[in-house]
Formats: sequence, structure tokens, C-alpha cells
Amino acid sequence: MTTAELQTPRPAHGEPRAGMVEFLTTTDHKQIGLLYIFTSLLFFGLSGVLALLMRAELTAPGLQLMNESTYNQLFTMHGTGMIFFFGSPLVVGLANYFVPLQIGAPDVAFPRLNALTYWLFLAGGLIAFSGFLTTSGAAAFGWTAYSPLSDSVYSPGAGPTLWIVGVLLGGASSILGAVNFIATIFTLRAPGMTMFRMPIFTWNMLVTSLLIMVSFPVLTAALAMLFLDRALGAHFFAGGDAILWQHLFWFFGHPEVYILILPFFGIVTEIIPVFSGKPVFGYRSFVFATMLIAAFSFSVWAHHMFATGFVNNLFFAITSMAIAIPTGVKYFNWIATMWRGHIRLQTPMLYSIGFLFMFLVGGITGPFLASPAIDYAVHDTYYLVAHFHYVLFGGTVFAAFAGFYFWFPKMTGRMLSERLGHLQFWPMLIGMNMTFFPMHILGLNGMPRRVADYPADAGWTGLNVIVTIGAVITALSIGVFVYNVVVSVFLRRGAPAPPDPWGGYSLEWWTTSPPPHHNFTSLPPIRSERPVFDARQAAAPGAIPDRTMAGGDVAHRPVRPGGTDG
Amino acid sequence: MHPPLKARRVVYAALPIAVATALALGGCTASPATAEANSVAWLYNVFLAAAGVVFVVVAALIGWSVIRYRGQAGDASLPPQTHGNLILEVVWWALPTLLVIGLFVISAQVLNATDKRSPSGAVRVRVEGFQWQWRFTYLDSGVQLVGLPDRPPQLVLPVGEQISFELVSADVIHSFYIPHFLLKRDTIPGLANRVDLTIDRAGTYGGQCAEFCGLLHARMVFSIRAVAPSDFQRWLSEQRALPPSPSP
Repeated sequence: MTTAELQTPRPAHGEPRAGMVEFLTTTDHKQIGLLYIFTSLLFFGLSGVLALLMRAELTAPGLQLMNESTYNQLFTMHGTGMIFFFGSPLVVGLANYFVPLQIGAPDVAFPRLNALTYWLFLAGGLIAFSGFLTTSGAAAFGWTAYSPLSDSVYSPGAGPTLWIVGVLLGGASSILGAVNFIATIFTLRAPGMTMFRMPIFTWNMLVTSLLIMVSFPVLTAALAMLFLDRALGAHFFAGGDAILWQHLFWFFGHPEVYILILPFFGIVTEIIPVFSGKPVFGYRSFVFATMLIAAFSFSVWAHHMFATGFVNNLFFAITSMAIAIPTGVKYFNWIATMWRGHIRLQTPMLYSIGFLFMFLVGGITGPFLASPAIDYAVHDTYYLVAHFHYVLFGGTVFAAFAGFYFWFPKMTGRMLSERLGHLQFWPMLIGMNMTFFPMHILGLNGMPRRVADYPADAGWTGLNVIVTIGAVITALSIGVFVYNVVVSVFLRRGAPAPPDPWGGYSLEWWTTSPPPHHNFTSLPPIRSERPVFDARQAAAPGAIPDRTMAGGDVAHRPVRPGGTDG
Repeated sequence: MHPPLKARRVVYAALPIAVATALALGGCTASPATAEANSVAWLYNVFLAAAGVVFVVVAALIGWSVIRYRGQAGDASLPPQTHGNLILEVVWWALPTLLVIGLFVISAQVLNATDKRSPSGAVRVRVEGFQWQWRFTYLDSGVQLVGLPDRPPQLVLPVGEQISFELVSADVIHSFYIPHFLLKRDTIPGLANRVDLTIDRAGTYGGQCAEFCGLLHARMVFSIRAVAPSDFQRWLSEQRALPPSPSP
């Protein structure tokens, strides 16, 4: 696939500098992407440790390790960290790295704004978590910060205020990032890259950016009002309307759930076609389904509020259930893409299949919660905790690992070990099911969420022990991933990555791994949604020479399951 | 090394079956104790059956695709490059749409039953949530029960009679939750909520605050003892004879 490498003159500004200085001052979308991904993974680890501490406390009834105050801070910052400082920034990081590459652009539309968003996000995360350093501790009102509990009367101290400021900065960062992605996708596509030739990941990032543009300003405004309530006694919520906060928060909060899943649908939709040797089945249907999910997501917020008794439950029931339709359609598209393909079970595909199974469980418990009468029974119990962890861990995190294994060679120039990738997958799958499946049963039997303790005679102890063991197994599996990355990149033992280790379809596989400063020295003709596939076919008509072999170079043979790697 | 091919195929095939079995075994609600809860439990079971069918069908399709269409080592041929199929796609937009409409219709019917208000309940109880316990007031007799975090109150109620709960809050939002009634409703400062129900099974049922409300949220437990109407009247007159319990 080698073409004549064109030497393009590098612009005077933005020239890479050495080491740390480069990372601190960079405006390169790839460096910023790596900063985002690395930082968000640190917050994933931190928030994960908080979850393990919670699980340690809940293993047995009675307070063994901590008091209620500490426990309440732990679950608040676990949710805050995972949603605002792991999930959202991970999306932005992956999009930063791959959206410009997938549309054949040299960078994002506003590189300096892009750098600003990263530093705002980092500042926000550090400020929110700095509550742990204050004498009264971090915020302890849940990541949803329901009013009037979040008012200065019921939650005094600096921790909650730091939480508001930190989350506000993180949200502002997301808004600016979304502006940048929308501008990039609309204005910087390479010649021939029409909207309906864009990779599905880029499509989903466009829709996600629109969701961010509409939903995050509402959160920002609500947080500003909450701040005024606390600092100046403004009485928007506390002493004002007690459930107004919930309307504003969930008008942001439900689209946020789709912000955390649509990009990962995109990743899985990149991987499944490549590892099935087929194009995505029903490209336009897929894009339409994504748009429909986004549109519906703004009409469902009050399904989080059925139990308040002050919303039109039937209206929000039908809109919420309707979201199951486009989501179900995506499943059929994924299955039809695999159907009659030649499936290769390398790590990215393995995690994508794990995603399909686990998100399915989270997806089908969704309509239960959308039915108000059932929601009266299971809302705010561990059933709900089980549901959204199947969505966010089984869905988002499994797809994130699929994406890591898929794109890691592109980002670092080194392969991850397939063997360790499989070794991580099975404990992660078993661990997460041990952790989150019993929570359904606990919830049905009446265990509420966000409790530091439960009665010894409630009959919940046995399942809680299983949950804790599952959490430990899951944590160990994440440890295998960290080991894999350290060995590959930091100890430089990973096999060098060719430009296209997987037989990819989209433009990021055309350039080197990692790509040069402004990404491309040449581009293939773009005549479909699979330009790199087309170029490969044109080079060898009739068949793919060897889909597992990049560039046709034996020295760059990628690692395969069962191969002899590291 | 990972397990050999055959073993892995068994794992892929066993996975959906195991999950489906677990769903079926663990998926039941707490046993319902009110007339309204019976219809909610019925609704839940219908949803569970639909979910079970969807899960088994979709998981089987995924599992079958992965096992049947696994690429053979050394096979470099290109599979058929199908881009889509209009008829298939119309069918699979229609199927979930029909399912959702069906589930919505029965959800609406059950919701109308659980949310219906009777003109005036035979027993009216005001439930007031406060940080971090409950104050129950029998509005017709003035009897009041107040809980403490380490001394949960027990509400006594008659079986077979209409009960009206009036739900209010003294400070932050709480939620009045009784697992065996398959019910919770928030108590919100400044807004009064109401729930009507009829207990149809005698017994003692635990309850707890379900909306996180601050430090000792986990200690906002209470219980409900459902007794025969005559026992309830006797208990009520005993309570009326007692001096009022002190406020915490």
C-alpha cells in the first residue's frame, strides 16, 4: 500500500518541542488527545479505588472501615469522577485523536481552544477532588446534587462548593470541545469525504457534540444558580422550587448518558466491520438511528423523576421506551454486519462482542425503569445501580477497551500483547457480572442505593459478599491492562506497529503509527466510507492479499491470538 | 494461553444461557402485599418475559454469528460485501416499535390502577420525612409516632381497608419506600404528595428512605405491621390513651 511519500513543508508555528515542554504547550490534536485519555484513565483509577472502598465497607452489615460521612463522600466522588472526569473526557480524548484523522484533516479547527479545553478539564477535576483535602471533606450529596440537600444549610463547608466549581469547569470544557469538533467535522473534511462517507465514529461524535452543545449549558446554568444559592442565599432551589433542580439536572443528565454511550457505539461500529471483513450493514439506517436517539434524549429527562409524583409520568414513559427502538435497530445492524463475515477474534473484536452481550443486559432493563409503575418499585434501589452499570461498565467501558486495543498501535506505534488482552478480558467479564448482576436481586429485595450500611437481618449479606469479590476480580483485570501498557510502551517491549495492523477501513490506517505532526503526507482517493479498504482492493484486485498483514511487509506482521508475542 | 478453539466455542454458547437462567432465577420482585402491588408484580413479570425473549433471541444471534462465521486461519478470501437490505431494515425497525407500543399500553393500564385516588381513604396517615427519621400522624385520631435513627417507628395499619398516605417533608427530599408494596413516593419540602393503597396480606413489612438525604440516610428505616381491622382499632385506642410521644 506504500505510495510515494510526499514531503510537505511543516508550518513555522506549532513545531514539536522536546518531552514535557511539548506536552505542556502543545496544540497538536494528537498530543492533546493523549493527555485527555491518560488523565481520564487516572480519574478512572481514582474513582475505581473509591468504589473498592465502598465495596469493602458493604461486604458485611455494620460500619467496619469508615463512618457514614466518609461513605457518602466516596459514592459522591465515585459518580462524579466516573461521569465528569473519566467518561466525558475519555470521549473528548478519543475524538481529539481520531476525528481529524478519520476525515483526513491536519488538526482540529481551533487548536488553541482545544488546548484550553484540556487544561480546563484538568483544573476542574483537581478542584472537585480537592474537597477531600478540606477539613469538612468532599461533597457528600451524590453526583446528582439534589436540592435542597446541596444547599449550604444541609451541606455546609468548602467541599460542596469546590464540587460545583470543578464540575462547572469540566462542563465548560466539554462545551468548548464540542464547538471545536462540530467546526472540524463541518469544515475540515478532506476532498471527497462527504458527510455520508464519514466513518460512523466521526458521525457519532458529531451527534454527541450537538448533544453536548444543547445539554451542558443547562448544567452550567444550574450549577451557577446552585452556587448563588450557596454563596448569596439566592433561593432558586432551596427555599424556592425544590424539584426545579431535578428538571434542570436531568435535562442535562439524560443526554449525558447518550454522550457517554454514542461515541462508544461508534467505536464498536468501527471495529465489528473491520474484524468481520465486511462493510457496516445499513450505514444510513445506523446514522439515522443515532440521530433519533439524540433527538429523543431531550424528551425523556423526567423518567428519573417518576417517584416525585410531580411530572407527567405517561408522557415520559412513552418517550423513554421509544429510545429502545433505534437502539434495538443498532443491534440488528451489528449482527447483520457479522453475519456471513470472516470474523477474527482479536482483542478489539473480543471486547466489542463483550460489549454486545453486556450492553444488551443493561439495555433490556431500561424499559423496566421507563415503565412508571415498575419504577415506583425499583427506582433508587440497587436495581437501578445494576442497570446503569451494565450500560456504563458493560457498555462504555467494554467498548472503551475495544477502542484502546484497536487504536493503541496507532497512538503509540507499539502493539499491545494479544495474550494479555485475552487474559484481561475473561476476568473483567466474569468480575463485572459478579459485581453488577446480583445488584438486580438486591434491588428487587429492597436494598436502596447510597446506603453506608444495611441491617444484618435483611438477607442481603451473601449477595453483597459476591458483589465485593466481583469488584476485586474486575479491579485485578484492569491491573492486567495497566501491566500490558507498561510493558508495551514504557518498557518498549511491544512489537512495533505498522500503519495498518488490523486491515482497517478508515483514513487513520493510511498514515504511519503514530502519525506525523500534521497527520498525512498523502491521502488515498475517497470514494466510499472505506477509503483504505478501497485502496487495498485497488492495489490487489479480487481479494484482500492478507487482511492480517499490514502493508504486505512480513517484518511488520501484527500480533494475532495464538501468536508468539511478548 | 487462551483455551483451545472448541472450549472457547462452548464458553460463547454457554454465556447467554447462563445469563438467561440467572435472569429467570433472580428476576422476581419482592412478594407483593397490597392490591396495587399485585398488578405491578404482574406488569413486572410481563416485562421480564418480554426481556427474556429479546435477550435469548439477540444473544443467540450474536453467539451464532461469532461461532458460525469465525474466520478460518489462512483464509484470505473476501466475504460477500453486503451493504444493506431495505426489507430487512424495515422489519427490524417495525419489530421493536410494536413491542414498545405493547409494553406502553399495559404500563399505562397498570399505572392508572396504582395512581388512582379514592374520594377519601378509610385511614388517613400523614408521613413526614425529616433528617433522619419519620413522623407518622393518623389524621383522624391525632395519634403520632416519631422515629429516631436508632429507634425506628412501627406503623400499624388495617388489612383490607383503603389507606391514604399524605407525604410531606420537613427539610430535604426523602422517599417513602416499602419494598413489599412495590412502591415509593418522594416527600418534598413545600409540596404534598398522596398515595392510596389497600393492604391485602397481614404481616410486618420493612420500609426505608430511598432518596439520599444526607448523613444518616441509611438509618431512616421503619416498619409497617398490617393487622385485622378490629386489632387496628384496638391498637389505635390504646395509643390514644398514651401521652403523646416527645418530639426528637
